[in-house]
Formats: sequence, structure tokens, C-alpha cells
Amino acid sequence: MKLSVNRNIGAVLWIAGLLVPLVASNSWISILSMFAIYAVVALSTDVVLGRAGMYDMGHAVYFGVGAYVTAILNVQYGVPILWTMPIAVVVAALVGMILAAPVVKLRGDYLLVATIGFNEIFRMILINDVGGVTGGPDGIFGIGVPSVFGYSIGSQEGLFILNWLLLGIALVLMNNLEKSRLGRVFRYLKEDELAATTLGVNARYYKILAFALGAGMAGAAGTLFATQLATVSPSAFVFMESVTLFAIVIVGGQASIPGVLLGTVLMFVVPQVFRELAEYRYLVFGLAMIVVMVLRPQGIWPRRNRPE
Amino acid sequence: MVKLRIVLATAALSLGMAGVAVADSVTFGVQAPITGQYANEGQGMEKAVKLVAKQLNEAGGLLGKEVKVVSCDDEGKATQAALCGRDLANQEVFAVIGSYTSGATAASQPVLDRANILQTSDGTAEQLTQKGYNLFFRNAPPNSAEAEFTGDYLVNVKKYERIAIIKDHSSFAKGLGEATAAAIEKQGGNIIFDGFITAGSQDYRSILTKIKSENPDIIYFSGYYSDGGLIRAQQASLAIDADFVGGDANQNVKFAEIAGKAAEGSVIINVPAPANLPYPEAKQFLKDYEEAYGESPPSIFTLTNTDGMRAIVQAVQETKSFDPETVADYLHGLRDFPGFTGPLGFDDKGERLGSAFQAFEIQADNTYKTIYPQQ
Amino acid sequence: MDIFLQQLVNGLTVGSIYALIALGYTMVYGILRLINFAHGDLAILGAFIGLTVITGLAGSGGAPANWIVIVAFVLAILVVAIAGVLLEFTAYRPLRDAHRLSAVVSALGASMFIQNGIMLIWSPQTLTFPEGIMPATTYNFGTVIISATQIFIVSVSFVLMLALYLYVNKTRFGTAIRAAAIDQDAARLMGINVNKVIVSVFILGPALGAIGGLFIGVYYRQAVFDMGWIYGLNAFIAAIIGGIGNIPGAMIGGLLLGLFSSLASGYISSTWQQAIVFGLLILILLVRPTGILGERVANKV
Repeated sequence: MKLSVNRNIGAVLWIAGLLVPLVASNSWISILSMFAIYAVVALSTDVVLGRAGMYDMGHAVYFGVGAYVTAILNVQYGVPILWTMPIAVVVAALVGMILAAPVVKLRGDYLLVATIGFNEIFRMILINDVGGVTGGPDGIFGIGVPSVFGYSIGSQEGLFILNWLLLGIALVLMNNLEKSRLGRVFRYLKEDELAATTLGVNARYYKILAFALGAGMAGAAGTLFATQLATVSPSAFVFMESVTLFAIVIVGGQASIPGVLLGTVLMFVVPQVFRELAEYRYLVFGLAMIVVMVLRPQGIWPRRNRPE
Repeated sequence: MVKLRIVLATAALSLGMAGVAVADSVTFGVQAPITGQYANEGQGMEKAVKLVAKQLNEAGGLLGKEVKVVSCDDEGKATQAALCGRDLANQEVFAVIGSYTSGATAASQPVLDRANILQTSDGTAEQLTQKGYNLFFRNAPPNSAEAEFTGDYLVNVKKYERIAIIKDHSSFAKGLGEATAAAIEKQGGNIIFDGFITAGSQDYRSILTKIKSENPDIIYFSGYYSDGGLIRAQQASLAIDADFVGGDANQNVKFAEIAGKAAEGSVIINVPAPANLPYPEAKQFLKDYEEAYGESPPSIFTLTNTDGMRAIVQAVQETKSFDPETVADYLHGLRDFPGFTGPLGFDDKGERLGSAFQAFEIQADNTYKTIYPQQ
Repeated sequence: MDIFLQQLVNGLTVGSIYALIALGYTMVYGILRLINFAHGDLAILGAFIGLTVITGLAGSGGAPANWIVIVAFVLAILVVAIAGVLLEFTAYRPLRDAHRLSAVVSALGASMFIQNGIMLIWSPQTLTFPEGIMPATTYNFGTVIISATQIFIVSVSFVLMLALYLYVNKTRFGTAIRAAAIDQDAARLMGINVNKVIVSVFILGPALGAIGGLFIGVYYRQAVFDMGWIYGLNAFIAAIIGGIGNIPGAMIGGLLLGLFSSLASGYISSTWQQAIVFGLLILILLVRPTGILGERVANKV
């Protein structure tokens, strides 16, 4: 009963969000626009970390892959932004699968370390301007704006609506994942992989699938991120970002949609609002992370256990 | 949860209202690496801009309006720079002085241009003025000019025979390094090593050891002072007997500090250092800066950025307008404006006209002495 | 050949520093199964404390006297060790019984907190150490140059590692540490005060890390607030390569990593150095995840 109330509130909130461009100032439209993108990436991290239970501290890589695919296709080859999105999703998902395949057999902490390694290697590929396409530490700039049927949607308001739409799609996907058989399989794998395997679950297949899904979602967000900033550069996809995503899921509440959204608000929106306290930002963050974990190790808004 | 939403909504409304601009002031934005590897430069830029604003306000403001300054820290990174551009645009600034690095400048150019905001930067990578941003003005001479001077200096003047080149991957250093290599080859010079470092990785002994095996007589580094100083120090500790010549981004007081005893004898190529500027207005500004902040500006780029701001101020005062297009038109026709860093003008692409490069050598007391062209 | 030897010398020096820091990671992981992400930052804190002591006592001109340098090391060790224990009490102890990932997030938070604390207390800019802390003498063997600083770092590191090895393997308390690393509950049943063991690990690890951090400061003459992250990561990789939880493993891992990265940088490419190191890490994880000396962490079946 409580659950459907939650979902209804969620839907109402989302619809209310569509009205933001009409009432809010430019600053706020920007902030909420970025929030939508990061929320999608956080939800995609949750697929791997919170739902399938794999320690992924390199999820920013897939976000970056999507962003760079869009940047390269758009800037070097003139491909319109919205056409790059499906390509970004597929490429990111492929990267997810390729990276995951060899390492999903690793036990918890070792998987964590491997994903950290992926993050660093990705960063280096970007910084060293591999193939002359990745643009080095300054990245790629001059990314265009999306257009639909010839109408450019490059304004702040237009981009906001696009991002918000993607968020809506992501929320629907996560909801379906919750209720679906795939979501259940992920839960079993997380709870007790050994038992799941004895029941006939092909653990390896589903683990790689989880990575592919999470990566693809992050890739889509990457496309919108690239066009939002008109620039992509390595610094947006470094280890620190992966750590932030990791923390969002754990601090917000694993496998909990409201938890992850709340986590995103705290980790991304709040610092933007309190820009003046810029210097103290990370100090407060770090402290907050410790305090929240100590006081509420299950996360701020943990998943409610429901009868299956 | 409901409470949180109410709080967020209230905050949203109040912040929205706070964004309304006050009509009798004009705001300059500073986009600079206030923290991070190049914090020295970023903070220098911010201080200089604030000083100019203060001096303007003491003289009655700009066309009667109070001059305000807001800053955004881009940490020297392109992503932050793009966010800063968006942020400053949202705050409806009139002009942006920024950034220090070419990469950060390139990242915010599109946003600022779309928002019709004037921008001036010391970034020297060629492409900054090649993209048709009408409101952008480069206040330091571009890489191509420096490369030509360097090529000539290394091959024809110093007659080096085994030149080693080190760059980093930033658009500035890579651009400068590649242009210099081409200039050296054009002059018939012999390049025995051409490689990259990753900026900020502290230990350059491995690549220096490799270079040592090639017996260079000169090591040219096209990157930034924070790495240049370390390279010079480590070169000395490995007893590599070669001259060190650094590109313009090595010109910063911290270079000598980081290089320690090895700094002496290093040569840097740039437009004249602040202390060597002959112009009385420049000397006065240096004095004012020291009085206000208790230290000298970290490098000449602090002053070129100041010149950029002053040129914009001049344009506003002469055209009696705050319209960006009008100001830009004036600036494109500007010639021989008495800048702190020499006569200042801009061509129709926003490229700086007229300044002379020099090679100067760091002395034992960490001052610069111009060694070419002879004064 | 001389180039190779020179790269070896460079690599050995950096490797010793990595080894000192890696020991902290491995000891904590051995007992708590926790990756102490804040360890790198604690080590760097040592560099900053050392810098403050040196410039405070000697002023910024001229070479500091030897006793000042010694005091700097001692104070750095003390402060960082205390910080380490505080860290344990506030961020890790309360989460002993919680989900593992909660402790990981807490560790990440602690890392951020310490790193930014350093930035706010000292400076966001790079700080330079005065010259002359070590004698500037160098020794030439053919064309291979070894500096007094390098000899100092390598020799002191070796002495410390030997001391730790003897302590852990030959003393009673050392045996307690090893026992607790193998099986905490069994150790408790044998009457070992596991809490005391944990506290001591959080003293020893950070202390060694602080020495490593101050070595970094003296060797490169620099301290930057975000150094902790990259040194910590490399030291952590070293611990994994050697076998996480295994003390001699961390020592060997550190030295090997230093050598490997120096040779990779010299012979393959300087800019891909870090990537090659991470490539090695992933290779080890896939082929022999328990590291060179195999981990001493018992598996729950």
C-alpha cells in the first residue's frame, strides 16, 4: 500500500518538475538540469552496486564513454546530437560488458580494486589523446546542441526538458526492473550467489548483464551531459566521480529509488547551491559521509523489504 | 520527505529572487584556477581584477556605475570551466576575465559567447581566436609567435646541436611544443628527443634518464611552471649537462622556488617579466598591487589579463556603451593602447597585436635578466 | 646498461616509499578486511607536519640543522599516529558490525575530510621544502648517479621494514597481530585483546606512512594537499600485488612497483606509466588475485 503511494508521489513530482522552466531562475534550471543527468547515472550505478550487489567503483567510466562518443561523433563527424545517443548507449554497454567479463568472477574487494583500475586506465586514455580523438586533458569542446525536426533545443529550458525526460525514462526502467524477473535474479545474486547458482541461475551471464545495463544507462546520460556543457574533459569522469556515485548509492540507500535520488540531491545539488562555501565543500562532505554511515549504516532512505 | 520538498522549493524561490541584477552596477566575472595546480596564477588574476575594480570605483565607477567582481574557480579543468561559464552567464556579468589555461578558456567560450558576454584571456593556444567568437580577445601573444621566436633563438642564436623537447598533453603545451618543433626544423635544427610528460606527476627522472642517454645540449619544456621547476631540479640531480629553456608558462615566481638551486641559469622565453617592464603605468600598478596584497603578481600573465580588462574598460568609456557588440567593434579597431605589458591592439579575430618576445635567464637571486635580444 | 641501472636506482627509491605506505594498507586490511582509503592522506599529512616543523624551527633561509630534521620526523610520526587512532575510533569502530560497504564509504569520507583539512590548514597551493635538508652530495658509479637523499631513503626504509618484520614474527605481540589477522574470533578465544591489536595496527601503519610521506617531501621538496590520493593508490596497488594482508608482501610489492613503474616509464613511455601500472594490477587480479606471496586472509567458505 505504502509503495504505490510512493510511486504516485514520484510521478506527481516528476510531472511538477516539467513546470520548473516556467517558474525558476536560470541558476535553478541549470542546477536541476544537472541533477537530472546525475540522477540517471546514480540510478545506473545502483543497478550494478545496489541491486546486483557488485562493488563497482568505476562507474563514471561508462558515463564518460557515452559523453565522449557523443563529443567525437558530433564534433569530428557532424552527427546530430540525438542520433549519437543510441550509439553512445550501445558503445557504453559494450564497454561495460567487455570490462566486466573478465572481472565479475572476482570476490568483492578485488572487484572493487579492478574497477578502480578501469577508471584510471580510462582517464589515461583520455588524457593521452589516444588516436588523436580524445583531446587530451583539455578534452573536446564545441559540442553542438540537440535539434528535433530542425528545431534546435539548445536553450537552458529546452535542455532541461530533455534531461528531465531521460530521468523519467530511467525511473520507469528502474521501476520495471524492481517488479521484473530480472530484478529478482539480481536480488538473489546479491543475497547469496552460491544459493542462486545451485538453483540454476547462470551467475556470470546475469552479472555481465547488470554491468551492460548500468553502463548503457550511464552512456545515455553522458550524451546529454556532453551537450549540456558543450565540452567533455577527463576531469568529469575521474575516480572521484566514481567514488561520489558509489557513495550516493550507499548513503542514499542501496536498491532504493528515493534513496538514490536523495543521495544525488545531497551530493550534487547541495554543493551547487552552497557555492560560496566552496572551500569547505569537500570537508563537509567527507564528514557528512562518516556521520551518516555511523548513524545510519543502512542508508538514509533504505529499501523497504516487501513480500515477494 | 514532504518537509524536504518544501524547504527545497522555498530555497529555490528565494535564490531565484536574489538573482535579480542591480541596475546601477556592472559586474565583471573572473574565471580562473583559484585552486589546483595553477592556483598561484588564478589567485593573481582575481586579485588584479579586484584591484582594477577598486581603482575604478575610487575614480567614480565605470560610466558612473559601481564595478563589482564575482569569481568562479575552474580549478584549471575544462569541465569546471564549462560550469563556471554557465554560472557566470547566469549571474549576468558584463565581461569575463578568464581563464589562465587555454583548455579552461576554450571550455567556457561557447557558453559565454552564446550569452553575449565579452571575454578576455591569456590562453595562447591558436584555436582560441580561430572559432569566430566575436566577443573574445586574447591578451597575450599566441603560440605561433612564440614558436617562431624560440626556433630562431635555439637554432640561429644559441646554435644548439642536440635539442630535446618535452611537452605535456594540455592543448597549450602540446600546441606550443609542436609549433616550436616545426619552427626548429624549419631553421634546420636537430631534434634528438620529442616526448610527453603527464602534468602533475612529480617524478620525471625516468624520462630525464632516457633523455640523458641521448646527450642533449638543451632541454626545451613547453608546459607549465609547476612541472618545469621539477624537471629542472631533477635534471640537475641526474647531472644532465644541458641548458634548460622553458616556454612562456614557466614564467612564474614559483618556478625558481620549486627548482631550488638549479633554477639559476634556466632560460625562459616570454614577453618581459613584470619587474622588467619599462612603462611607468606598469610600475605604478605593480606598486599598487604590492601595497594592496603584500606580494608581487606571480607572472606577466596577471598583467596581460589586467590589460585585457583595462582595454574593455577603455572601450566602454570611449563608446559610452555597455553593448557587447559596440565594445567589441571598438576593440577590434584598437591600436597602440598603452597597456602595462606594452602597446596593445586587437585584430579582427581578437588576436593581440604587437608585443615582443624575449629570452631571459634566471639569476642567482631569482630575478630575470634579459639575454636576447640584447637590451 | 648504465641507463638501466639509473632507472633501477630511481625505481628503488620510489619503491621504498611505496613500501612504507603499503604496509599501512596491508596491516589494516589483514585485520579488518577494510581498505583504509584515508591511509594515503594520513601519510601525506606526515609531509606537511614535517614541513611546518622544519620551517618553524629553522626559518626559511638556509639549510636546517640535522636535529631539526629528526624532530620533524618524530613529530610527524606522533601526530599521524594519533590521527590514525582517532580515525579508527570515529570512523571505523562504530561500523565493525555493519555492512562492509558502509565502512568503505566511511573510509572514503575520512579521506576527503583529511585531504581537505590539509588544504584548509596549510594551503591549496604546492608548498616547497627548503633546500639542504639532505646533503646535496651525489656519488658517481660510472654514469650512474646516486644522491645522498636516495641512499638515505632506501636505507632507512629497509631498516624499518626489517624491524617491522622482526617485530611481527618474533615478538609475542607480533604473533597476536598475525593471529588476529588470520581469525579474529579464534584469537579472541585465545585471550588476545583484539581491540588492542587493532589500535596498534592503526599506530604502526600510519607511523610508517608518515615517514614515507615525509620522505616524499624531502625527495621532491614539495607537498601538495592532494598527493595522498595518487601515492595512496599506488601503494595500495603495491599491497595487492604483494598479497593484501601479507606484510612481507607489501614490502616486496612496493619495491617491485617502484622498479616496474620506473622501467616502464623509461623504456616504454612516460605518459603511460600509470596506465601500465594499473594494467599490471588488473593482470595480477585476473591471474593471481591473492598476490605474489598469497594473502594470509582466510576465506569464509
